[in-house]
Amino acid sequence: MKRKVGRLLHSGVGLAVALLFLLPIYWIFTASLRQRGLPPPTGIEWWPSPATLENYPYIFNLLPMARYVRNSLLVVGTAVPITVFIASIAGFAMSQEDEVWRRRLLIASIVLLMVPGASVWLFRFQILRWLGLIDSLWALIAPAFAAGSPLYVLLFFWSYRRIPGEVFEAARLDGASAWVMWRQLARPLVRPTAVTIIILSFVMYWSDFVSPVLYIFRTDLYTLPIGLQLLKQLDPTNWPLLMAAAAVITLPVLVLFIFLQRYFLSDLSIASLMDQN
Amino acid sequence: MKPQQFTSTTESSKAKFPWKLPYKAQMRLFLLPYVLGTIVLVVIPAVATVLISFTEYKAVGAPRFVGLQNYRDLLGFGLVRTSLRNSAIFLLLAVPLRLLGALVLALLLQRKGRMFGSYRAAVYAPTIIPEAAYALLWLWIFNPVYGPLNLFLGWLGLPTPDWLIQPGTARLAIVILSCFQIGEGFVVLLAGLQSIPRSFYESAKVDGATWQQSFWQITLPLLSPWLMLLTFRDLIMSLQNTFTPSFIITYGGPYYATTFAPLLIYELAFDYMRLGLAAALLLLTYVLLGLIVLGILNAVGLGGSADEA
Amino acid sequence: MFKRIGLLVGLLTLFVWLAACQSAEKATVTFAVSGDAAEFAAYESLVASFSEIHPEIDVQLQLVPSDSEYRQKLATAFSAGDPPNVMLLNYRRFGAFVAEKGLAPLENYLAGSEIIAKSDYFPQVIDAFYLDGSLYCIPQNLSSLVVYYNKGLFDAAGLAYPANDWTQADFLAAARALTQDVDGDGRIDQYGAGIEPTISRLAPFIWQFGGQLVDNQEKPTRLTLDSPESLAAFQWFVDLQVKEHVVPDAVAESAQDSESRFLNGTLGMYFNSRRSTPTMRTITAFDWDVAPLPRGAQTASILHSDGYCMAEQTTNKDAAWTFIEYANSAPGQAIVALTGRTVPSLISVAESDAFLPADSKPANGRVFLDAAPQIRRVPIMVNWSTIEETAGQEVERAFYGHVGVQEAAETAVTLTQPYFDEANTP
Repeated sequence: MKRKVGRLLHSGVGLAVALLFLLPIYWIFTASLRQRGLPPPTGIEWWPSPATLENYPYIFNLLPMARYVRNSLLVVGTAVPITVFIASIAGFAMSQEDEVWRRRLLIASIVLLMVPGASVWLFRFQILRWLGLIDSLWALIAPAFAAGSPLYVLLFFWSYRRIPGEVFEAARLDGASAWVMWRQLARPLVRPTAVTIIILSFVMYWSDFVSPVLYIFRTDLYTLPIGLQLLKQLDPTNWPLLMAAAAVITLPVLVLFIFLQRYFLSDLSIASLMDQN
Repeated sequence: MKPQQFTSTTESSKAKFPWKLPYKAQMRLFLLPYVLGTIVLVVIPAVATVLISFTEYKAVGAPRFVGLQNYRDLLGFGLVRTSLRNSAIFLLLAVPLRLLGALVLALLLQRKGRMFGSYRAAVYAPTIIPEAAYALLWLWIFNPVYGPLNLFLGWLGLPTPDWLIQPGTARLAIVILSCFQIGEGFVVLLAGLQSIPRSFYESAKVDGATWQQSFWQITLPLLSPWLMLLTFRDLIMSLQNTFTPSFIITYGGPYYATTFAPLLIYELAFDYMRLGLAAALLLLTYVLLGLIVLGILNAVGLGGSADEA
Repeated sequence: MFKRIGLLVGLLTLFVWLAACQSAEKATVTFAVSGDAAEFAAYESLVASFSEIHPEIDVQLQLVPSDSEYRQKLATAFSAGDPPNVMLLNYRRFGAFVAEKGLAPLENYLAGSEIIAKSDYFPQVIDAFYLDGSLYCIPQNLSSLVVYYNKGLFDAAGLAYPANDWTQADFLAAARALTQDVDGDGRIDQYGAGIEPTISRLAPFIWQFGGQLVDNQEKPTRLTLDSPESLAAFQWFVDLQVKEHVVPDAVAESAQDSESRFLNGTLGMYFNSRRSTPTMRTITAFDWDVAPLPRGAQTASILHSDGYCMAEQTTNKDAAWTFIEYANSAPGQAIVALTGRTVPSLISVAESDAFLPADSKPANGRVFLDAAPQIRRVPIMVNWSTIEETAGQEVERAFYGHVGVQEAAETAVTLTQPYFDEANTP
């Protein structure tokens, strides 16, 4: 009996915490449903009345939001697959390296993880210009060719290292190429990690605000975070509109997350995520 | 793994790849894009930034070598001290709170079951909100009169502070919003908890240990490497992550209360157009953080264990 | 399932890429501005009409959402040696780019022009773009600080509309009458006036009180916010909030800023330059107009102006100049003026229907032009914007009652001194 009460209490506290963390997201959506031009609420308002969806078409008319959505989708649609692929093969190769190189790469990656973003702003511009990528969406996709972030390589590395060596031995004796080893033997075993990287890198490219400001001059190439800033510039305290735009920019990552979270936060993937014994 | 299966696949692959590099070279080829890309996009720009911290560089025109002059200028610049003090206060509040929050939530929500899976997802959810939208959202939440937070507090009959208007509460506001984005630490600690063999707890139970005793004697010691790793990462990341909220929500105010080092670096570079000075402050901040990390390592007596992460 | 989704994503991405690919080959001039969508529309139509006359030049418009991102972008682009060819800069900011020879002098271009001449412009505004004897930008506008007022609220309070020669005392009386607790809940919900606590808003009042912003307008060596006249003006300015409570306090301003209060009809008078006009024209609920700044012992207002500047590194300077010349010719300025955003710097356009159309608001638009003779400007220095922002922090602190005027002025003087010294060391 006492045990049952304890379990119930545990579930109750869990639910309360979950609701607390969902509150900010809930507020984005309810605020976006409020009618424009009404005086601000004077009491707590759990559901706006009248609730309206008209703020959404309104911001799409006010600004070329559809174009920004297209550009953002183009960037993540291109960058995420490249990131996952390059991080995966790099992580795999790292796990196959000998002790000395593995250690060097590991330390270098951890150090690189600590490099603050601000330190690369200026000179990345010059490199991208030299590569002829300024003013093209490739400037935003470019980090994908460096695996997005050393973190992603490390996560893949830790997953691949957990695969017992015997899995590869027969294939190696058989003279299999690295490509085959990765594609047919290793890759299927780290799917939860790949899902994790898909979510993390999707969020990274999708939310990137500084890169388009710095590297994109053509307004027809702007992405959603810039759109949000343009809207804020236009009407800095029009909360229903701003929250509608925030909802537009949050919704895709949220949907992706809800769709993939059972892989991402499933018991199995958590265990394999950073466990390295 | 069925042995027949990969025999057949490797045979077909021989036909596909007539050219044959040694296995090791193939592995190096796999590393090439990552290594090359990182050198071009991260290492070279970062090293260049370190170098310009020794120059007078005003964006327009060429950088001029001035030795340590920028660092001397930083010492005499009152805002630098303010920003470092603000950053220290932020880290002192945010890092322990974030770690504690992640730990408590991981302990609370590690239970198996469908509902708890959803609860874990809910805790992670704020972490994925794009930062520009996240900052705007909190700007509205903290609105002193119409914001949902103060309306909620008023509804509960609690005091309603002027969040972003008083220096103390403005800093606290930035700490609070950072405490809702703890998904990463939460996931890492869940993984850490799962790596503790269940048998440890079972034998402790047989010995008659209470819940508290197993926490202090089993859970915490075995989690400490993870906590250590997270502390270092959080020291660096959470400071860096103050940039967007302090830029969008408070723009450093009220009266410099939320002028954290990253925001001042930004201002030095793009408002004052003194890129050399900005680079010097960037370097100084991270050297100071590095010293703190080393200090913690020494205090804990774990010198050098960070390499094993 | 994953494979199929992956394939779908791949195909979609490829499709959108193909649709996005376009190319063009022409003499290209890049032109950067910062601003909101309405301003962007104005510059888009300017560029469109330019390309009708000069089809051989392709002007690429670059819009950056806000001022701070604009500066970030310019600094990055300049440091990479790839700045926009033409950029719109405020006269308080262009100095930073001149200091390191980032901008091309335009005096010779202007002298050689067959379309525009120096004498076509209001003299006060062309002077603002000279630094160390050279002209760096061609001004597109000259705005002064004015008072937007809600006629409906004036009527409801039984007040006469502001006259063109109204005084600070008239202003204060109106502001007091307009500040009300309409719904009687003990919280003021209608304010008399709204003004940003910044140097650019305070400066005209300092001049009206006979004070100065700096010791020497041409070669400034210190801020003179602490002189008796400046202090008197500063005190008057701060009293609007601290003593009279006719402007929103810090909490009220942060809850809802003055501009949106004005738009919602809960603020009587709002201080801004011409830049607010397009936004104000969206008001349908009440009638509004503009009045000149109320006068003190003297009349004075402050210059707001942006100019077209050319980067020194521009390869095709003639094409860039052709665009600047067109943008500042009568047809060019007329296009931008039609949006209501600017007060043209060309005297002929300012006096024309493009700026003063009979049927559009504000009805009293002449006040922008009538202010021209009394208009004054902040000093032109390489780092003026930094000085202004640093001192502005102190003004804000005093305005919201956190510190006395005397102390704020002294702190501002102390904190800005290093920047003056820096500007004066060769």
